[in-house]
Amino acid sequence: MLRFLSGFASYWMLLGKVFSRPEKVQIYYRQTMKELISLGIRSIGIVAIISFFMGAVITLQTAYNTENPIYPTYLIGLGCRDSILLEFSSTIVALILAGKVGSNIASEIGTMRVTEQIDALELMGVNSASYLILPKVVATLVFNPFLTLISIIVGILGGWIAGTSSGVITSQDFIYGIQYAFIPYYITYAIIKTLFFAFIITSVSAFQGYYVEGGSLEVGRASTKAVVYSSVTILLFNVILTQLLLS
Amino acid sequence: MIRAENITKRFGDREVLKDISATFEPGQTNLIIGKSGSGKTVFMKCLVGLLDIDEGSIWYDDVLFSKLDFRAKKEIRKDMGMLFQGSALFDSMTVEENVRFPLDMFTTMSYSEKLDRVNFCLHRVDIIDSNSLFPSELSGGMKKRVAIARAIALKPRYLFCDEPNSGLDPKTSIVIDALIKEITNELNMTTIVNTHDMNSVMENGEKIIFIEEGEKCWEGSKNEILKSDNKLLNEFVFANALAKQLKASTK
Repeated sequence: MLRFLSGFASYWMLLGKVFSRPEKVQIYYRQTMKELISLGIRSIGIVAIISFFMGAVITLQTAYNTENPIYPTYLIGLGCRDSILLEFSSTIVALILAGKVGSNIASEIGTMRVTEQIDALELMGVNSASYLILPKVVATLVFNPFLTLISIIVGILGGWIAGTSSGVITSQDFIYGIQYAFIPYYITYAIIKTLFFAFIITSVSAFQGYYVEGGSLEVGRASTKAVVYSSVTILLFNVILTQLLLS
Repeated sequence: MIRAENITKRFGDREVLKDISATFEPGQTNLIIGKSGSGKTVFMKCLVGLLDIDEGSIWYDDVLFSKLDFRAKKEIRKDMGMLFQGSALFDSMTVEENVRFPLDMFTTMSYSEKLDRVNFCLHRVDIIDSNSLFPSELSGGMKKRVAIARAIALKPRYLFCDEPNSGLDPKTSIVIDALIKEITNELNMTTIVNTHDMNSVMENGEKIIFIEEGEKCWEGSKNEILKSDNKLLNEFVFANALAKQLKASTK
């Protein structure tokens, strides 16, 4: 318990350092652009592939579980839309990104710590926490909502292709289903969750990397911890945010 | 000038530095020697403020550095350059970007002025036509030289070198030692070098401090080391047969 509390306090102290005034805005802007490419654009592929297949599976499973003449077939489209919009595009994609982006951040910063690159920054008078972490936080906060939108579009597309090509639903019924009783607030809800999850992924992973002590073995452990802790925190906040935003 | 007064540093219950005092003058290469684990690196990290001291004080000229807050320390750190044991070059940056980094961060120079300064520093350490290489493409000796170029980019007043010869062959070590000495004289810097390389001691030891198990055991110059009767120092410096013969011949 004491270890948890001291870790929690260190996390908030690190955030205090991260959000202090940048030394040179121009350099931070350049770093943020680099991180947008590294953490955002390079994640489009994995998000698109997983979303496509998840959309396909959601459609097929909904179809096989509603094989009853009482249920209109357009419900398959509706089920696919709501599953993707409410849970998959924000929470499941965030868990996937916790694995991809989180381990990347923890190992990058952890390696810089054990090879004294962070000491070198500090010695030059650079706020290493802010220089290394702030651009990553900003980049994911800016780009992850786009990843969520891509996930929504590609997921529904995957559902449509799987549903129509397997013959479980016609194209008209699917399109009618995804438009039926549509609540635009669900998109806002998904984006708000994405923003929280983006912050959790970058800050928790950066924290694990920043305080690594030892060598390559410890960097590997920090990388694993980053994925585990950020995933658990995402799941916890998913419950809290769902209660707050949908109740 | 850097002055350390009664420095004590503990990690938990373990006292790794015990009441160390020393003065390091500008324009000369000050060496801190001692076996691995004796506390040299901890002492150096305390001097530059990467580790907080538990007791004592550290002065940079007339400024009590050890009592300054983070922001005030930052100002003095702009006058420091450090060569780390593993070079600590930024992996994601090219040689040119590594050397340009402190200039980007702390100067208002134009791009061409910065490029001129980068090329001057790289030329000074004999790194030519390697601006676009990444650290992973450099040899150990080249990495050290690029790290020296980065350390002197802002014309520092204080240069710290932690084991500059570790992992280098004897010939490259001599080149690095000579480079550090030349740059120290050129820029009239206060240079502190951690080493256990006896070639460095005999070549560069204008002032030598010997640390054993966190305690300062001896202080003197390279000439005085040959005549010293300090048992611990003699065991460390004249550890091999050749060195023992040299010591015997001076008696």
